[in-house]
Amino acid sequence: MLATVRSATLLGVDGAPVTVEVHLANGLPSFTVVGLPDAACRESRDRVRAALVSSGLDFPKTRITVNLAPSGVRKVGSGLDLAVALGILAAAGQIDGRALADTAAVGELGLDGTLRPVPGVLALVSAVRAAAVIVPSASAGEAMLVPGLVVRGASSLAELVDALAGRTPWPAHRPGPAVALPAPVADLADVRGQPVARWALEVSAAGGHHLLLVGPPGAGKTMLATRLAGILPALRPEEALETTRVHSAGGLPLPAGGLVTRPPFRAPHHSASVIALVGGGSWWIRPGEVSFATNGVLFLDELAEFPRSVLDTLRQPLEEGVVRVARARHSVSLPARFLLVAAMNPCPCGEGGPVGACVCSEAVRTRYGQRVSGPLLDRFDVRVVVPRPDPGQLLAPAARSERGRAGGSPAAAARVGAVRELARQRGVRANAELAGPALDRWAVPAPAAARLCEHRLATGRLSARGLTRVRRVARTVADLAGEDGPVLGEAHVAAALELRADVTVLRAGS
Amino acid sequence: MTAELPDEAYVVALLSLPELWPARLAALLGVVRPTAGPCAPGPVGPDHPGDGSATERSARDVWELVVRGRARLEVGRRRLHPPDPVVLARRWTAASAGVDVAGLWAGCVRAGVRVDVLGRPGYPPELVADGQAPWVLFRRGAVMDLAGARVAVIGTRRASPVGREVARELGAGLSRVGVRVVSGLALGIDAAAHDGALAAGGGAPVGIVAGGFDHPYPLRHRPLWAQVAGRGVLVSEWPPSARSEGWRFPARNRIIAALADVVVVVESGAAGGSMLTAEAALARGRPVMAVPGSVRNPAATGTNRLLADGAAPACGLDDVLAALALATVGSCGPPVPSRSPGTSGPAGSSGPPGYAGPSQGSVSGGSSDQGGTLGSTGGSAGRPAATGRSTGPAARVLEALDWDAEPLETVVRRCGLPAPVVAAELVRLELAGAASSSGGWRRADSDRRFDRRGPER
Repeated sequence: MLATVRSATLLGVDGAPVTVEVHLANGLPSFTVVGLPDAACRESRDRVRAALVSSGLDFPKTRITVNLAPSGVRKVGSGLDLAVALGILAAAGQIDGRALADTAAVGELGLDGTLRPVPGVLALVSAVRAAAVIVPSASAGEAMLVPGLVVRGASSLAELVDALAGRTPWPAHRPGPAVALPAPVADLADVRGQPVARWALEVSAAGGHHLLLVGPPGAGKTMLATRLAGILPALRPEEALETTRVHSAGGLPLPAGGLVTRPPFRAPHHSASVIALVGGGSWWIRPGEVSFATNGVLFLDELAEFPRSVLDTLRQPLEEGVVRVARARHSVSLPARFLLVAAMNPCPCGEGGPVGACVCSEAVRTRYGQRVSGPLLDRFDVRVVVPRPDPGQLLAPAARSERGRAGGSPAAAARVGAVRELARQRGVRANAELAGPALDRWAVPAPAAARLCEHRLATGRLSARGLTRVRRVARTVADLAGEDGPVLGEAHVAAALELRADVTVLRAGS
Repeated sequence: MTAELPDEAYVVALLSLPELWPARLAALLGVVRPTAGPCAPGPVGPDHPGDGSATERSARDVWELVVRGRARLEVGRRRLHPPDPVVLARRWTAASAGVDVAGLWAGCVRAGVRVDVLGRPGYPPELVADGQAPWVLFRRGAVMDLAGARVAVIGTRRASPVGREVARELGAGLSRVGVRVVSGLALGIDAAAHDGALAAGGGAPVGIVAGGFDHPYPLRHRPLWAQVAGRGVLVSEWPPSARSEGWRFPARNRIIAALADVVVVVESGAAGGSMLTAEAALARGRPVMAVPGSVRNPAATGTNRLLADGAAPACGLDDVLAALALATVGSCGPPVPSRSPGTSGPAGSSGPPGYAGPSQGSVSGGSSDQGGTLGSTGGSAGRPAATGRSTGPAARVLEALDWDAEPLETVVRRCGLPAPVVAAELVRLELAGAASSSGGWRRADSDRRFDRRGPER
């Protein structure tokens, strides 16, 4: 009268193993779920009952107690439905308990007995302690990403019971062909003119340096930023798994193959809350945009329109690459290693720059500049002013031939990939991660370059931290120029200094 | 205890009463203007005592009168709607009950505020002769007196970046030669001028403010107020508790005009406080100078209009010093304008075209129309030419630079070189002193016209 089925629940983007114990006892018919289930989890009683009945199975009219062990861990969502249903069937003897030995089950039940996919299958499946796992067939591809595990997909409870009883063979679920998704259609060749911004984009992508674009409306900041994902290299296998896990746990739709292979591009609106951005929630800690953007790009358009309190929460993930969300009952670490790209206007009227164009008073401009805190601005290593493009370039017939040439995304992506490969040889994923001895080993300013830095340091326009960051950017600039020796030339350091445009310009003041 | 209070304590107490403005206080005290100044009493001081028949009373006596309800304001006959002296006296008496004379005075003493009444000993002689001199003057600072050569550097609050730089340089240049910079501590040009003067650390700055010392305006200039007071003097005609209401500013401007030996307007729109100050200065016979600006710069409309109307152009520190009759180097002849070309100096040798070298003197070959006197003043102090003639990308980049600050993108577009090359060249040019990158890139050959010995930044 007792049966146990293995399953898992979601904690952040990680799974936690759960053992579902079902006990049938004589007494008044009842159905109790204990072990800290959340609302969705407790409702599984009604789904399970209906699913069993609709599948032509017998729902035992006895006293049913379901314990979700370990009972101290919160269980969230509907992913335990299937395990509960199987546990009841096994306890009632409708299926052979031995068939479930060393097999876990994850999935939500529909009232008609269908198996529905749940968020975070990848994380759940990697957490279960079993040799085989039963998942809804829609999630089979995702579950197969976990190596060394027998994945059994089923589309309904009835089909599953038949297969468990050996009456029918297990439905075959081959992983979908791992199609390499084509790069996003937005091509860098569509951008007319803007040589500086293009270059900055390439430096940012190649070195993983956070990028800030400042310019009037209509200058093409958003257009440029959206093309960034297209020139980033495809995700490496471990990055792809990590990003897929986060996307799956957050309930984002996954690509056909189940694996996210292209760097994600997340562009939350500026009304986003702190929780939406960094993740959180009291029961189910859902990853935020910073985690969805992990190994990809987080694009904050209209940076100054984001509440300052929201922006400042980005500082810790920017430094550490993880978000630690703590709640009263539990705390989780969510991956958040992303390339931050932001765009903003120089002032509320948007014109800024040229004398006479801006109609904002100085006080208004100053207040606008203060919306983005200094520490956050300091984390942008590449900052460029993007003026409106030249009318002549805008009206010129599209340079279609450019698409295949140096100006197009494929060519830029190749250059970016080459620089990333150099960084990997230096032991980091991108030059922006060079630190300590590695930086001293691979980014040695030449004497002339050191003089430039000295001048900037002496005049107070460069801080000690800024110098470190300038060296990293200079490393990328040099790599892009094909000079991958450890010494940074004067031109490279100068270019890196220029790419770190004065923040004071953005913070208008006397 | 109250018997030991100085008379100024009662001046402060009286001015804290409602509708008891300095002019009315003067009338109550029986103070008259010592001499008829160059400016007839204008809109300020409408309750001027007129015939001066009243005898002077001490502020303490007036206070006693107010407290007892006996103070009577002698209203000028020309007033359209004269206030009722009895009603006023009643109001003052009622308000005086709540005034802590000793406490107010202790506050002034603690803040180091000095109070002077026109015509009495201690009032700065520099202002006494002015027809619109404030009846009461509040001062606070390290250098209370106003003696010494004084140049007002004023301009719009909505200044262009170049305007601010010029004001900063001019402030520094003047301060360095011991001239005291007078300004209004407003946003934009005013603040930049005093910033420069403070950085140079020469002549003690003079800040004329529109409100009381307790209420810095704009609030974010609180540190600037403190610095000016710490190194020079802050002057106001209002007690420390007064707030900076809009109407006080034009009145403040007349004090700037009255105190300055020369008024330099760095940038001003077609209408604005700086134009009023310039008018007030002209009414007093003070030389008014204006820094020429681009016709495209809306913040230079007023200054260019002043020039068209006959103001002297201020194209460099020497122009201002000449107007101040203090010029010592390289300029003879009429004090204003002092721009006779052909003075000998490094710039006379008209350096190579384009990028010639880092020295501010020898690079002026790029601006042949303005070479001459200015180059001659700074050439000797310049750094040695480092690179000599260069024709590579540096020359092309320099050629593409304008005098107005522009984003890198524009420079790249203009010179047609790859962005990384242009960026690198610009940073090199900046190190050499030929380009400047504040708020965008521009040529820097003509920088430091207003501050020849200043540091790089």
